[in-house]
Parts: sequence; structure tokens; C-alpha cells
Amino acid sequence: MYNIFSLIFKYIFIVIIYLFILSIIRLIYLDIKGIDTQHLDDSAVYLKLINRKDSLPFKVKEYYILDDEVSIGRGNDNKIVIKDPYVSKKHLKIVKDEGNYYLVDLNSANGTFLNGDRIMDVVELKNGDRIRVGQVEFLYVNRE
Amino acid sequence: MLNRRINYRVPRNLLVLFELIALLLLFIYHKGNLDRFTIISGLSLIFIIYISNFLLLRLSSGDNYIFLIVTMLISIGVIMIYRINPLLGMKQLIWLGIGIALFFITYFIVKRIEGWEKWINVYVILSILLFILTLLLGSRTRGSINWISIGRFSFQPSEIIKILMIFIISSYYTNYERYKKVKYGSYYLIGIMYLFIGFLFLQKDLGTVLIFYTVFLGLQFIYEENRRLVLYNILFFLVSGLIGYLVFPHVQIRFEAWIDPWKYIDNKGYQITQSLFAIASGGFFGTGIGLGHPDFIPEVHTDFIFSAICEEMGIFTGMAIIMLFMILVYRGFKIAINQGNKFFRIVALGISILFGIQSFIILGGVLNVIPLTGITIPFVSYGGSSILSSFIALGILQVASEDLDYGEEKYEQGN
Repeated sequence: MYNIFSLIFKYIFIVIIYLFILSIIRLIYLDIKGIDTQHLDDSAVYLKLINRKDSLPFKVKEYYILDDEVSIGRGNDNKIVIKDPYVSKKHLKIVKDEGNYYLVDLNSANGTFLNGDRIMDVVELKNGDRIRVGQVEFLYVNRE
Repeated sequence: MLNRRINYRVPRNLLVLFELIALLLLFIYHKGNLDRFTIISGLSLIFIIYISNFLLLRLSSGDNYIFLIVTMLISIGVIMIYRINPLLGMKQLIWLGIGIALFFITYFIVKRIEGWEKWINVYVILSILLFILTLLLGSRTRGSINWISIGRFSFQPSEIIKILMIFIISSYYTNYERYKKVKYGSYYLIGIMYLFIGFLFLQKDLGTVLIFYTVFLGLQFIYEENRRLVLYNILFFLVSGLIGYLVFPHVQIRFEAWIDPWKYIDNKGYQITQSLFAIASGGFFGTGIGLGHPDFIPEVHTDFIFSAICEEMGIFTGMAIIMLFMILVYRGFKIAINQGNKFFRIVALGISILFGIQSFIILGGVLNVIPLTGITIPFVSYGGSSILSSFIALGILQVASEDLDYGEEKYEQGN
């Protein structure tokens, strides 16, 4: 009786172990696909995604490098496109002015939150600020 | 198919399913001597593993594959050990419980305290103290002194020194610029490492010497600016290997048994030939748990657990174990590449090399690819100190997988 059990179970074990490995490799594959080839050097100013990437049902990158003017929104004409239903077509932009970066809300429907507070029009960004847009939360990194 | 959305629940649930089926099977197998305590401990370990995987996803912003992979490895290991010897299996269950607790404790301690890279002297003194303690109090098992027994409890100090060694190398290379200015500063590390290797030679613990050497060589190869030192080190490695071969008779025996185990099948080569027989008799799918004869191999629960797994669960499971280790080491390197803090980057590299080389040495030895050295497979073999030190190393790797630098001052980068 035991022998029959053991004979059947050995195949089940192997199937489960390989499914386990396959699922981990798949998760890692998703992880690797999202790696940016952009080089982040020391002077770069960028937005870093705080959310776990696989918790969001739309495409979003791990890092976004900021240059003079970057706009975020659902529309395809934005520099950073986020297909989140809670993000407006033109949601916000980040503008560089005399070395400082400013966050400008473009009258979005659901608002932009900086460190938990909804911003009204223009706010200056500091290193370590958390910017929430729809379901997505970014960390602003500026290490100068 | 790869694009279908999957999440962490899939591997976690597969793991629980695997453990439950295995537990059921083992209880049918050992139904003669079942007690409630065994069942409860088995179920609670499954529960602890599930909860830990679940909690880790919430607690840690870092990597969450490494703990999953390791829990699969310990599950396969403990199933096999319990099948070979229920008493050892129960002990292993308890060690695993302590190990997982230690993983979380290490995780919190290492994360909370800052300035690990400054205490190189503490690590060195602690390691030397442990070495001296081993030589004074150690007991000799099969040719090497590496155990300290205190009452009923015995442990292997070299398992802890392994981690201390990685910390020493990491703090040295983090502060490399400073040491380079001091006269002979670039020889400090080599001096310390050769002192350790000398101690290990005195203990005749050559498997550990091999691990120390390879971890040191790997990290030195990556970070040493004076490339000649790397070359000297490799040369010295070859010379000391030759000396070891000439001086220690048990090395010669291992070597002869490796070249032609069949010639010495009745004595020196007995263990390795039995291991090869076991692997061959299992075939691709194995004989089924409880239907093979892994007890023919001496030391089957520690060094030769891999042969027992291959015999009863099939070569496919054996390949799965090797694949799991490969993914684990790959994750370790990925963690090291992503880590901005230099100290933790070197630590992550060191720990990945440690896991990789340790499993390579023993799996290669069991398969007669390289000469056999008696060390344990991390997370799979039976053994308290090995399990505990592997979990401590994993806890440190978990900390290293997190982004430690943002929001603070940027870490000084040496190169």
C-alpha cells in the first residue's frame, strides 16, 4: 500500500518542485525585463519607484531620470506615461529652474501628493521627498 | 505565457503543498512510531515557513526570492533527513525553527545598527579567540579538530568565523583608501587571512581552508588594486595545496579515492562508490521515498544527503537542487550589483560566493567530479551550526538587498 503511494508521490514531488522553480524564474524574468539600461551616475537627479512593481497593473519603470522639463500623465504625449486610471491626461510636470527642481500640478482631477499633503500649484522638491500620483509613489532623489 | 501575471502567492502555495504532501507520506511511512509532538512540530514548521515568507514581503523592501528558494531547499533536506532517521529529523526541525528566528533577529540587528565597516579589529580579535578556543577545547572527529562541546551542546566555530571573515574583508576594502596610505597597509588583509588559514591547517580542517581561500580569492580578485597580490595569492594557494597533499595522509587517501574509487571499493573508496551506486540506482524519477537504501552510505545525513535525495527523489530533484543554488547565487550577485553601500555590496558578494562555493565543493565531491571534502551543503544537510550560520548569512544578505543609502548622505565611493 505504502509503495503505491510513494511511487505516485515521487512524480508529484518532481512536478511541484519544477513548477516552483519555474514560477520563481518567471518572477525573476519580469524583474530583469524591467531593468533600465540607462546609467545612473552620481550626479543624476531621478525619480525612483517606491511601489513594488508587480503590485501595479500597468507599465511603470523603476527609475526616471529628470532633465529640464518632465511631464507625467496618462496621455501619450507626456515624457513619462503612466496608464493608471487615477492619473489625469496631463497630470503634473517637474521643471528645473536655476538648479532647483519644482513640482507643478496641472489641475489634475485626483491631485498630486507630496509627503502625504495635496499640493496646490508649485512646490520646490528636496532630496527624499515622496511624490504620489494616482496609485504610484515616487521618491525624488537629488544627491547634490 | 511568460507575460501572464503571476505573483508571489504562486511559489508560496506550491511550497506549502509540497510540504504537506511530504509530511503525509512520511507519516504513513513511519506510522509505527508516531506521536502527537512530531505531527505538531511538522505542521508548525510549515506554518512558520508560510508566515515568514508572507511577513517578509511586508517587512522588507528588498529581495524576496532568496528566502523562498532557501525554504524550498530546507524542505527537501528535512524530508530526506526525517526519512533516514526520524530522531535526527526532529532535531533538524528544531534547528530550522531556531534558524528562521535567527534570520529575522539578524535582519533587524544588522539593519538597525550602523557602522559595521568600522569594527574590523573586533571581527579579527573575535575570530582569533574562536580559533584558539577550538584548538584548546576542540574534540577530534575523523582527522580534524573543529568541534567544541559544552555540555550536551556542540558547535563548529569555523561556521561563525566564515561570516566574520566576510565582514573583515568587506570592512578592509571599504576603507581601502586609508589602508593604502599606511606602510605595508595592503598586506594587512593577506596577513590576517594567512593567519586564519594557518589555524585551520593546525586543525586539519581542509574543507574549510578551501572555502576561506576561494571566498578571499574571489573578493580580492574583484577589489584588489595591486594585481600582483592576486597572482601571489593564487601561487601560494597552489603551493599550500601541494604541501597539504604531501603532509596530510588523509588528503592523499581522498585524492586516490577520487582518481579511481573502484580500485579501493572495499576501503578508501567505499563511501564514494556507494554514493555513485545510490545515484545511479535512483534513475531520473527516483525509487520513491522510503523505497531506496540510502543507509548503505556512511554519513548519509550530512555530507551525502545529496546522494540520498538523488536515489529516492530522482536525478530530476538533484538537478532542481543545483538549479535552486544557481538562482540563489545569481540573486546574491544581483543584490550586490544593485547595492550602493560599498560595505554591504562586498558582504553580499562574499555571501553569494560562500553559498556557491560551498555547494559546489560538496556536490562535486559527492558526484566524484572533484576530490571529496567533508563539508555540509548549506540549508540541506543535517547540522545545527551549519544551519544557523547559513541563516545568519541569509539574514545579512536580506539586509544587503535593501536600498540602504537613499535620503542620507551619499556613501563615499572608492572606485
